[in-house]
Order: sequence, then structure tokens, then C-alpha cells
Amino acid sequence: MGRYIIRRLLQTIPLLLLLSIFFFVLIHALPGGPERVLQNPHLGAAGQAALRARFGLDQPLPIQYVRWVGNMLVGDFGNSFADNQPVAAVLQQRFPNTVELFSVALLLALVLAVFLGLVSGVRQNSLTDYTLTVVSYFGIAMPAFLLGLFLQDLFGVQLHWLPTSGTETLGMNFDAFNSFYDHFLHLLLPMVTLSILFIAGWSRYMRSSTIDVVKQDYMRTAQAKGVSPTAMLLRHALRNAIIPLITIVALDFGQIAGGATITEGIFAWPGMGSLFLDSLDKRDYPVLLAILLISAVFVITFNIIADILYAVVDPRIRYS
Amino acid sequence: MDITNSLDISQEEIEPFLDETTALDQQRRSQLRIIFDRFVRNKVAIVGACFLIFMVVLCFLGPLVTGHNQPDVTHPLDSLKPPSAAYPLGTDLIGHDQFARVMYGGRLSLLVGLGSMLVAVFFGVTLGAFAGFYGGLIDNILMRVTDIALAVPAYLLLFLLSIAYSDGSPLSIILLISVLSWTYTARLVRGEFLALREREYVLAARTIGARGLRLMFRHILPNAAGPIIVNATLLIGANIIFESVLSYFGFGLQPPAASWGNMVADGKGLLDVAPWMVIAPGLLIFLTVLSSNLVGDGLRDALDPRMTER
Repeated sequence: MGRYIIRRLLQTIPLLLLLSIFFFVLIHALPGGPERVLQNPHLGAAGQAALRARFGLDQPLPIQYVRWVGNMLVGDFGNSFADNQPVAAVLQQRFPNTVELFSVALLLALVLAVFLGLVSGVRQNSLTDYTLTVVSYFGIAMPAFLLGLFLQDLFGVQLHWLPTSGTETLGMNFDAFNSFYDHFLHLLLPMVTLSILFIAGWSRYMRSSTIDVVKQDYMRTAQAKGVSPTAMLLRHALRNAIIPLITIVALDFGQIAGGATITEGIFAWPGMGSLFLDSLDKRDYPVLLAILLISAVFVITFNIIADILYAVVDPRIRYS
Repeated sequence: MDITNSLDISQEEIEPFLDETTALDQQRRSQLRIIFDRFVRNKVAIVGACFLIFMVVLCFLGPLVTGHNQPDVTHPLDSLKPPSAAYPLGTDLIGHDQFARVMYGGRLSLLVGLGSMLVAVFFGVTLGAFAGFYGGLIDNILMRVTDIALAVPAYLLLFLLSIAYSDGSPLSIILLISVLSWTYTARLVRGEFLALREREYVLAARTIGARGLRLMFRHILPNAAGPIIVNATLLIGANIIFESVLSYFGFGLQPPAASWGNMVADGKGLLDVAPWMVIAPGLLIFLTVLSSNLVGDGLRDALDPRMTER
């Protein structure tokens, strides 16, 4: 197992190298370039050249690339073109918001998906089963931007129940509890919007693995020796049926750094995704590159974690 | 002794009648016929298929039949009119006939969904087939490329690529979306080929002299067709969503060209004044994607009956 993990980690090095080249070339192919933000109409040609030189953009691409990678290895992601802040500082502001939104949304999705999947797997063709079918088709066919728009309009504009954007009510001086409550209200709509797609996928998965599990002999044994239906469901069916789902959840969690882009864009949630959209508009190369690379690192890491978890929860699987 | 004798006799007597039994009658149906019969029995999938056909007919013939064929003409005096006889789906801020726009936008959305599926499936099948059949270097390169594609959240890459390489024309959007969606198909086909190339019938074909392309596309591909068809159907829906997201965030088809995605984007600020501007295109995206998923799942059940109980 240890050797397997080490081998997987070593394999990521060439992959990350390839990815960094791919991203670098892609970003520098963007039309317009950083002049779009840097350009000042009063700046002459000499001033522009000086600016380019200051950001190292006058160097040949390979040299820029090597310099970028070299700086990154010592933790320096460069400075943002837009406001000259260190990229690391900008990301530190944004990343916690994304982690919060993504985690609560996935947690909500997990709870609902396990419940729906388990019940409808045990009782096929019941009301819960049909509910699940409807919910999952709805989740797959409903684009997030549309769902977000309707939720915003219904709960924010029509009913005035919930705020529609941002993370807190501006200009209010809340005490600790009210500020938490206010933040929670802001979280609700993006959380629901983001979780729908995951509920749709995961619950179908949970349902089919539950159907497999309840057919097993040990379930009949449990029933024969008089285990109550609830205990059978929770202690015997759930624990085995959830195994395949765990790896899927780990895989999906790897999307954290970029996976909430659309939801963040709709609800103006100040996370990595909305930062990406802003930076794309401003051609802010260092920020874009950092977000792309970080999101790739997360995807790759959670891929490995998913594979390891797979062996941990199911002892029959061994890696060598 | 006595028993075997009687068995022999009975077999000889029954055999002439065997082909008249209904059980054997069923075997005479072709494989395609069996699959088709199974698909038709799935009512939900049929509803989805009918809706897709209806959408294609509506979008491509609707403008000619209904006379709503001027999506770009504005009627400034009829700004933000609710649905009426003259404008069945109302008008937008500058008096566009929304019914005409929904149909013309639907053409683009369906075209992009279908076109990018075809491009993605073409490349996915070709590369996946070569990688799965020959292995080695081709396989290694393909796997690294798909690793890269899988390591980046799709929407980040989609937005980036659309700024860098898209001019907002339908063709560029089709190519863009297919760049993102061919990798899954390629992995799927590769897996099928890896498994199928070891089967006896492939060996048999090899012994009578078939090789290379003939083995791949004549013998193995038809047996891998099921999962590919299902994947292709689901891709149509997924790609329509991709297109609408791109257009919604302003990276996709550029106005005045209408697509369902940018129609929703146009109407989002006016949702309280003119809800019809969002509801009509939004509902069509939803129903079209839903139908393509229903058809895809129906095909999966029809092609692989073991899946039906899931």
C-alpha cells in the first residue's frame, strides 16, 4: 500500500509538469493580453514597454515559463496584474469561501442522496423511489444557472425571505450570533443550487448499490436471526451500500477549486470560481494560472485519495 | 437401453415441429429488432424521443409554417409585450418576437448539441479504438491527454478556451465543446476494445486473415456499439447545457444571434417584468436535455437488459 501511494505520487510529477506547460501556453494565447488592464491611454509606447518589462512579459515565453515555475516552487505565485497584490494573498481571501460553500453543499447532497438512495433501493417502485427518479432527472436536466436564477427570484425578489448574493448584509453591525445567522441565510441559496447536481448523481448510485446489497445472503441471515428492519437497514445495508459512493464523493470533492464556478458566478459568492471569471475578464495571467494549477492539484490529489479509500473501505481490494 | 431408445425416437419426432414453436419464432427477430422492440416498450423513453423529434421539427420547420420567421426584426412599439396572439411567447425589451427567437435559437442549440456530439464521438471512437486495440505508445499518449483533460474543472477550461479560440460562431462553439467531451468517449471505447480484442470471435476472425482496421471496425466496433450509442445520446443533452452556460456567461454565441442560453441571459434582469423571456427558453433547455437523458437511459435498458432492474 505504501509503495502504491509513493508510486502514484511520483506519477503526478510528470503530469503536473505537462499541465503547467499546457496552462501556460493556453493563457498566453489569450487575445488582448495584459495590456488590456495595464494600458493607460496617457502611457506612451516607451511607458508600455517599461510596464511589460516590469512584469517580465518582454522575455521569450520559455524563459517566462521557467521563471514562473521556479518562483512557484518556492511558494511565490507572482503579483496580480489588476491590483498588484501577491496572488497567494488574493487566493487566501477567496479559497475559504469556496471551501465553505462546496463543503456544506456536498454535505447536504450526501445526506439527502444516501437517504433517498437507500430508501428507494430497499423499496423499489415506492413513492420515495419515484421521488428520487424525478429529483435525479430534474437535477441532471436543470442547468445550474437557470435553477439559481429561479431560486433567486422566488425566495429573494418575490418572497423577500433570503438574500440573493454575497456572503453578508453590508452596512450592518451584527453581534456574533446575528452575523452568523446572516451569513447562513446568504449561504442557503447557493448551497441548494450547487447540491442538486450532486444529489442527482449520487442518489442513483446509492440506489443501485443498495439493490445489490439487499440481495446478499448475509441480509437474509440477519433477517432470519431477528434483526429489526431499521437495524438491518442502518447497520447491515447502509454500511455496505455506501462503499462505492465514498470513492465517488472523494472524486467529486476534488473539483472543489473550480467546481462551483457557475454557482459562484450567479450568486456573486466571492470564491475561487468568481475570481476566475473576474480575472478572465481582466486577463490577469498570474491569478488565472494559479487557480488552474491549484484546481488541477486538487483533482489529482483527490483521485489518489479516492483510490486509496477504495482499498481502505473494501479490504478485498489490494494494490501492489 | 430401453430409455435411450425411446429418447432417440422422441427427439426425432419432435424436431420437425421445433421451428413452429413460438419460442423459436422469437429468435428469428434480428438483434436490432429485439432492441427496437424493447425500446418501444419503454414509454418514458418514447415520450422523450417524440419530444426531441417535435423540437427538431418545430425549430427547423416552425418558422416557415407559423410565419414567425423574423428573429432579428425589432418592434420598438411592442416592447415587453406579454404572450398574445400576435406574439405567442411575448416580446423582449426592444420588441423581438420571442417565439421566432426561440425557434431560431433552438436551431443553434440543437445544432451545437448534435454537432459537438458527432465531432466528439468521431474523435473519441477513433482514438479510443486505436489505443485499445494496439496499446503501446498510442495508448500511453491518449491516456496522458485524457489525464490532462480530466484534471481541469471543465468549466474553467471551457471559458478559457472560448476566450482564446472562439469567435462566437456556431462552428467554433461546436469544436470547443467537442474538445472537452471527447475524452470520456475515448476512455469508454478504449475499455471496450481492451476487453473485446481478447474474445474468441476476434481470434477466429484473425485466423481467417482479418487484421488491423478490418478487425477493429468490422468485428470489434459493432460489439462495442451499445455503450457508445448511449454515451452519444447523453452527450447531446450535456453539450446543450455546456452551450447554454457559455452563452449565459457571454462566452458563447454572440447576439444578435439567438440561442436558448443567451435568451435566458437577456431576460434575467427582467424576470419580474417579463418572466416569459426566461421561462420559454429555460423550459426548452430543460425539456430537451431531459428528453435526451430519457432516450439515453431507455437505450441503455434496451441494449443491456441486465441493467433494467437497476
